[in-house]
Amino acid sequence: MAVGMAVVLSACGGAEEAVKVKDTLVVGQGADAKTLDPHATNDQPSSRVAVQIYSQLVETDKDMNIVPGLAESWKSLDDKTTQFVLRKGVKFHNGEELKASDVKFTLEAMIASPTVAHIVSAIDSVDIVDEYTVNVITKEPFGPLLYHLTHTAASILNEKAVKAAGDAYGQQPVGTGPYQFVDWAVGDRITLKAFDDYYGGKQAIPNVVFRNIPEGTNRAIALETGEIDIGYDLEPIDKDTVRNKENLALVEEESFSVAYLGFNTQKAPFDNVKVRQAISYAINADDIVEAVLMGAGAPSSSPIGPKVFGYNPEIDRYQQNFDKARELLAEAGLPDGFKTTIWTNDNPTRVQIAQVLQAQLRQIGIDMSIEVVEWGAFLDGTSRGNHDMFILGWVTVTGDADYGLYALFNSATHGGAGNRSFYSNAEVDQLLNQARTSIDAAERKELYGKVQVILQNEVPTFSIYDQYQNIGIQKNVLGFSMAPAGHHKLRGVSFAG
Amino acid sequence: MHRFILKRLLLLIPVLLGVSLLVFAIMSFTPGDPAQLILGENAPAEAVAELREEMGLNDPFVLRYAHFVGNAVTGDLGQSYTSGRDVFDEIFSRFPNTLILAALGVLIAVVIGIPIGIISATRQYSMIDSGSMIFALLGVSMPNFWLGLMMILLFAVNLGWVPSGGYSSWSSLIMPAITLGTGSAAIITRMTRSSMLEVIRQDYIRTARAKGVAENVVINRHALKNALIPVITVIGLQFGMLLGGAVLTETVFSWPGVGRMMVDAIRQKDTPTVLGAVVFLATTFSLVNLFVDLLYGFVDPRIKSQYA
Repeated sequence: MAVGMAVVLSACGGAEEAVKVKDTLVVGQGADAKTLDPHATNDQPSSRVAVQIYSQLVETDKDMNIVPGLAESWKSLDDKTTQFVLRKGVKFHNGEELKASDVKFTLEAMIASPTVAHIVSAIDSVDIVDEYTVNVITKEPFGPLLYHLTHTAASILNEKAVKAAGDAYGQQPVGTGPYQFVDWAVGDRITLKAFDDYYGGKQAIPNVVFRNIPEGTNRAIALETGEIDIGYDLEPIDKDTVRNKENLALVEEESFSVAYLGFNTQKAPFDNVKVRQAISYAINADDIVEAVLMGAGAPSSSPIGPKVFGYNPEIDRYQQNFDKARELLAEAGLPDGFKTTIWTNDNPTRVQIAQVLQAQLRQIGIDMSIEVVEWGAFLDGTSRGNHDMFILGWVTVTGDADYGLYALFNSATHGGAGNRSFYSNAEVDQLLNQARTSIDAAERKELYGKVQVILQNEVPTFSIYDQYQNIGIQKNVLGFSMAPAGHHKLRGVSFAG
Repeated sequence: MHRFILKRLLLLIPVLLGVSLLVFAIMSFTPGDPAQLILGENAPAEAVAELREEMGLNDPFVLRYAHFVGNAVTGDLGQSYTSGRDVFDEIFSRFPNTLILAALGVLIAVVIGIPIGIISATRQYSMIDSGSMIFALLGVSMPNFWLGLMMILLFAVNLGWVPSGGYSSWSSLIMPAITLGTGSAAIITRMTRSSMLEVIRQDYIRTARAKGVAENVVINRHALKNALIPVITVIGLQFGMLLGGAVLTETVFSWPGVGRMMVDAIRQKDTPTVLGAVVFLATTFSLVNLFVDLLYGFVDPRIKSQYA
């Protein structure tokens, strides 16, 4: 009877809560934002709030096609110049109208910011043609430009607001997005309200609150009690609880994030492609996904995720085959295996992956010891090439293959710039450069397809899995869709009934 | 009296210097580059080097520490590496949350602990005494976070009476305050009981009883005042500890307090915030202790006379 009463009481509590929060959408995430100045940070919790406040020149749709944002149209004037025509009458939250000068100001400020400059490093200059037209000129022809401009860091700022606020801008952001900033209780919550003059129309839900709930289990509990409407990044252990609740749903989708095992391809024995292939045949990625991720991922066959533009879906992944692996090792002159080390940072998931890999490689005689290295030292050591093998992840944040493949596999980016496997292949270099400088989408897609075939064969890095991301959501919240980059837009979300 | 306070305040200086030096050294000698941290993984090496120079990270350790102390005495604790906000502002925006939680926790502890302690002492070995000692043992040995989680499960999830976390209204305070208060209540109960037992065996109590003074007057007026001195020390210490050490409770209840801020900052190697928080908490702790010492004087005039 006590249980019965508790159920009745909790049902009452839930219903009451739902009536109260109807005009406010509450989102729980695992950390507070650092700053809402998109040029000052590039971290996920900040971007997830900022993306509601700002808009970009162009955006991507659900299938990763480029669609108009603040720019209603654009065209290539020549292979280095893209002309953007801005929507007229777009208002910033401070009442200012969006002008070409704001775009120029934003992109130039971005280039000057060490935190986010890498996203627009291809841009040489920004020219104002008239009040609503702006030319973006790249140093070299740069195919992925539009994808780079969809990044939250490329959100268009209001020159006047930024200059007026000075150092405090990150705490009083002004954008053109669907929601405007209201209040920030540091460490606890950020409150936003719908912007009446949003160019895409006023939002159905008047208020949005981002709550900082660091413990995953607490986010699941807050979903259960109805205190939050959407909870980001639930723990594997809580997923079933959410899935089994009548009024809750669990959404799980691929992200842009791929976890990989890297080899130092300039160091013996990993300079031998057969050794890398042998290791690839010794690995069973399904085990890793099951045991370590509890199913929150899918074994991968490419360094970029399936949602990224340029992904090649026709590549087979390595299937575990110890005989084949031993054969390849013997061909490489190492029939009895060898001793080596793997580096990982103290991220518990990566440490566990290393342990599974250790057990699997032992089967073909490779005696791999695990070294857990502090993050700073990890980045430093792998950029110098002090390592044998390492575990790392890569998030193709722009959603374009260039961002994922160029940095990781071009011989020009050895070390800290991204190519920590020190891979060099003239053909790959040539294909990557060609794809980067082409502005023909179909051609680029084909070129990236070829690169991925070569990479899967030569395995400078073994792509272990595509990481899923999840959210828990109240079933009365409609119209929510996930962004593979992780900063989900709440635009267009409404309550049922 | 004034001299005593002044002396104690002056003693704060070496304490704070010691604490900050220790923390500064730990944060400096652990691996990880603050400049890289601020600019992010993708920042070009030149920009990182430039920022290192600008931040004075290339200076010798002693110089950097002196620089920190020099700024700190003017109230400038620097800016957070992660948010860029003033550390001083950040601490003070969160401190009210920590203070209210700690105050309420101690209040609960006192309201529960002292009466139960007195009753236990006056009825030693009775059922009430055994019962309250079992409660006290449970309270002391039960981990805070576990109690917190169990309460969330019962009162937030199953019963839906109070919010499970965050700080949205006064009802958000109930569970974290009880969680914090339980441990302290147990300690205060035990302290009150043993101190009371000691006092009521003394001659002057027997004299008072012999004079025919009513039992409740004997306990409340004659015994309690003397028995309270060690209890006040414990309450003061508990309050100081709750101000600085409520990290687990703050985490379990997503409470935006100073303790959690400090832990987050340690994880992110945000040295200015860690230093600021530690210095601030050390100061608060010392001041609470000073206040407790002054309070003795009011409870026990013999101690007051020693201040001069």
